[in-house]
Amino acid sequence: MIKGERKPLPEIRKLIAPYKKVLILGCNTCTAICFAGGEKEVAALASTLRITDGKDKVFTEGIVRRQCEKEYILEARKQMEEADVIVSLACALGVQAVVEHFPQFDILPGLNTSFLGIPMEHAVFNEKCIACGDCIIGLTGGLCPFSRCAKSLFNGPCGGSVGGRCEISKDVPCVWQQILDRLKSLGRLTVMEDVVPIRDWVSNSAKGPRTIVKADMKLPEPLKVEASSAGIIKR
Amino acid sequence: MSKTASSNMPAPVTNFGVKSFPFPDGKDYYPPCQFGCPIRQDARGYMAAIAQGDFDQAKQIVLKDNPLATILGTICGHPCETKCRRGKVEHPISIRVLKRVAVELGHVPAPTKIETKYAEKIAVVGAGPSGLTAASDLAKMGYSVTLFERDQVAGGIVQNYVPIYRLPRQFIKNDVDNIAALGVQIKTGSELGKHFSLKDLQNQGYKAILLALGLPQSRSLPLPGVDAKDVMLALPFLKSVNFDGFRFPPNKHVIVVGGGNVAVDVARSARRAGAAAIHMVCLESREEIPASPWEIKEAEEEGIDINCSFGPRCILVDEGGVVKGLECKGVKSVFDEQKRFNPTFYEDKITAFTGNIIIVAIGQGHDLSYVKDMGVALNQRGQMAYNTDTMATSMEGIFTCGEVVTGPGNAVQAMASGRKAALSMHSYLRKDARLLPPPEKSALKELDPLVIEKIKKHERREPELLPANERVANFDFIEKPLGAENAIQEARRCLTCGAGAQQIDDKCIHCITCFRVCPYGVPVIESPTTVHIRAEECQACGICVGECPSRAIDFRSYRIDEINDRLEAALKHGSSRSSLVGFLCSYHPFNKRDKDAQDVHLVRTSCVAKIEKRHLLKAFELGAQGVFVAGCTESDCAYQNSYYWAQQRLQAAKNSLKEIGLGEDKVKLYRHDPSQPVTLEQIHADFAKGITADKPGK
Repeated sequence: MIKGERKPLPEIRKLIAPYKKVLILGCNTCTAICFAGGEKEVAALASTLRITDGKDKVFTEGIVRRQCEKEYILEARKQMEEADVIVSLACALGVQAVVEHFPQFDILPGLNTSFLGIPMEHAVFNEKCIACGDCIIGLTGGLCPFSRCAKSLFNGPCGGSVGGRCEISKDVPCVWQQILDRLKSLGRLTVMEDVVPIRDWVSNSAKGPRTIVKADMKLPEPLKVEASSAGIIKR
Repeated sequence: MSKTASSNMPAPVTNFGVKSFPFPDGKDYYPPCQFGCPIRQDARGYMAAIAQGDFDQAKQIVLKDNPLATILGTICGHPCETKCRRGKVEHPISIRVLKRVAVELGHVPAPTKIETKYAEKIAVVGAGPSGLTAASDLAKMGYSVTLFERDQVAGGIVQNYVPIYRLPRQFIKNDVDNIAALGVQIKTGSELGKHFSLKDLQNQGYKAILLALGLPQSRSLPLPGVDAKDVMLALPFLKSVNFDGFRFPPNKHVIVVGGGNVAVDVARSARRAGAAAIHMVCLESREEIPASPWEIKEAEEEGIDINCSFGPRCILVDEGGVVKGLECKGVKSVFDEQKRFNPTFYEDKITAFTGNIIIVAIGQGHDLSYVKDMGVALNQRGQMAYNTDTMATSMEGIFTCGEVVTGPGNAVQAMASGRKAALSMHSYLRKDARLLPPPEKSALKELDPLVIEKIKKHERREPELLPANERVANFDFIEKPLGAENAIQEARRCLTCGAGAQQIDDKCIHCITCFRVCPYGVPVIESPTTVHIRAEECQACGICVGECPSRAIDFRSYRIDEINDRLEAALKHGSSRSSLVGFLCSYHPFNKRDKDAQDVHLVRTSCVAKIEKRHLLKAFELGAQGVFVAGCTESDCAYQNSYYWAQQRLQAAKNSLKEIGLGEDKVKLYRHDPSQPVTLEQIHADFAKGITADKPGK
């Protein structure tokens, strides 16, 4: 899932400096699962901020199931209306969803959205994917060289791979060694002979933000939810 | 026992109750101990109170449902212990003796007269356990109750026949006096059929009458020789030994016929009364013998010889009419296939036991012909005909309860019967069927063996008895007090069944955290998509509640909710600038309630696993200058991994404090190691010095 980490306290305090009533709004999906933005972390941040800034600011706490869905964001509408600013403990998607659907609210990120990853053990998360949009891990034994190779190489390790470790650090395994070992153990080493073609790197950000449309699932015209009207940003 | 307390008795610091919301399956369940208790004592509640050293609260919990707590704390047959789930770990909790400790060490306000709410007067005939309980319950409901007892002292079988070495009479007086203090009028020396009739009671204006007549007559056996001089019956023997100083002349060899607890009482009393030898002879096999196992053990220690599977055939008497012994036939079986009492014998296997005293202890009865003469219908067996739901007899407004209708049982069973009758009478008088007891809840099932495996074993603590050779020399009370420290340690073994974690389905994100952190394997992955916390298996350590990222775990007992409340209460009373807050495992030695030193505010909780980072930060929010947590060593702790999680949360709090600029050294963690105990003075000194290292722990 999406993994994130809470921003350093000084940064958050700087961001909220101009405001008086601050709502700390968590998200009960990805960031709750990586222990960065669930109800527990919302309470912890609120408690911390009350100690540092409780004299001149008022902190309220809220949680929604997913901050990236308009209908769930609506559940916190009253709380958002009563605050001057929202510090979101959702990933950046949640922050932007609020801006998208409820532009009248001022919202700040309380987290850094870090990466797409999985727990290797409880409470230890590791990056596994960069959402490149054209997954080739079928050709690499199920391991992604884009996210896990420092150079994002496509077709085998570089000369810096020694003892199964990446040249950038002893702590980082060389994913190409892992890919080779795995394909060997599966008896599919011949897959290495299929060259992964050159990727058109221009695609990613230069073509603008990507969109997926599931045309056969779209709602009929009269049922579409109306986009919320623009409003005045509260101070 | 109870001292007269002032009216400003402090409110309980902790609510030892359990929130009554349904289990995940939508139903509510009793913990097995409460289910096993006929009067539904909240054993789980008073275990929790004792485990935290709060004997006052424990006593209040006991007395809420139990008007004969001193008696039962001494002699109850403790069906709760038979059901106790700890029994499958090593041994059940010593619930009965812990009740005694609560009653002896706890202080509660003295009972006072209850204001009468209703006009109707109620008469209870018979002040045995069932009558006393009914009278107490009815008085508490607001009725004016008069209790008629034919003996000079109230108590029934318990007063007259339970040996004084098992139950000092002062204990009975305590309970009876407490009931009288509620306003129940106890009229002793007043016998139904001799001094008054049922009609008299009705004419005197009693609107409902309860016949709690008991089984005060010793049954005899139609054996040849039973009329000989030295053949005695159990109940008169016990009474004379208890109160008339009856003792045997030398060289009496006593044969006690019977295998129940009364027979054992007779045998052990005979021992103390100077019998040279005692043989018990009973129909039942060793496996079937109805006497309680602990009674049998104590009896055999006292030199009583128990002979099983023998059926009396005749009493051997010589020409001078002197008893010589008891001739018996071997027993083939006692109960038939329908489990009815239907003994069969080996007619050719004859054994003669030598003895010159025979005491028949084969059961009790009550000739109710005098009651029949007053208009109450009897059934074919000579017992009162009664409705088992309403406890009503054939006569309008006349009810019955206890052994006289249920047959022989123990005191607590009789009390339950009295309680049931009281409610029924209330419903009858108020003409309101809704006042009858609601349908019963069932009990939690047995613990999953995989969970049992992971529970740390701690040996059971039992009270010491006087050594057998000292016991048999007199009628002194045989049980030594257990003591507060042993009681606390024993109560800690309680598994707090059904009072732990419960998942809040709406908030749960099935992140699997609880599954991973639980040391007992209580949460399970139930289907491909859900984690399910099995509330009925939870050991109530509290680790998962603090780890759940969505706060989707509720705790069925109040103890986790209260931590913030207790924190606020603790800090409210101190206004000094250098205030320290300590979160303690409540089993710690310095948890004694009077030990709050100046400027140190203690918040106690059952296991530091329940302390979360948010509690630690809250203390600073409320103005604490320093915070410490004191937990038990791994071997002392009843749970697993608690100290580890306390360390983790402390570290998280330190990280936050570092961010704020408050300094990591403001939070410290200690371990209670009995060999190196930490004192409050030492902790003060550590904070004053600003030491950053944690105390080394085992």
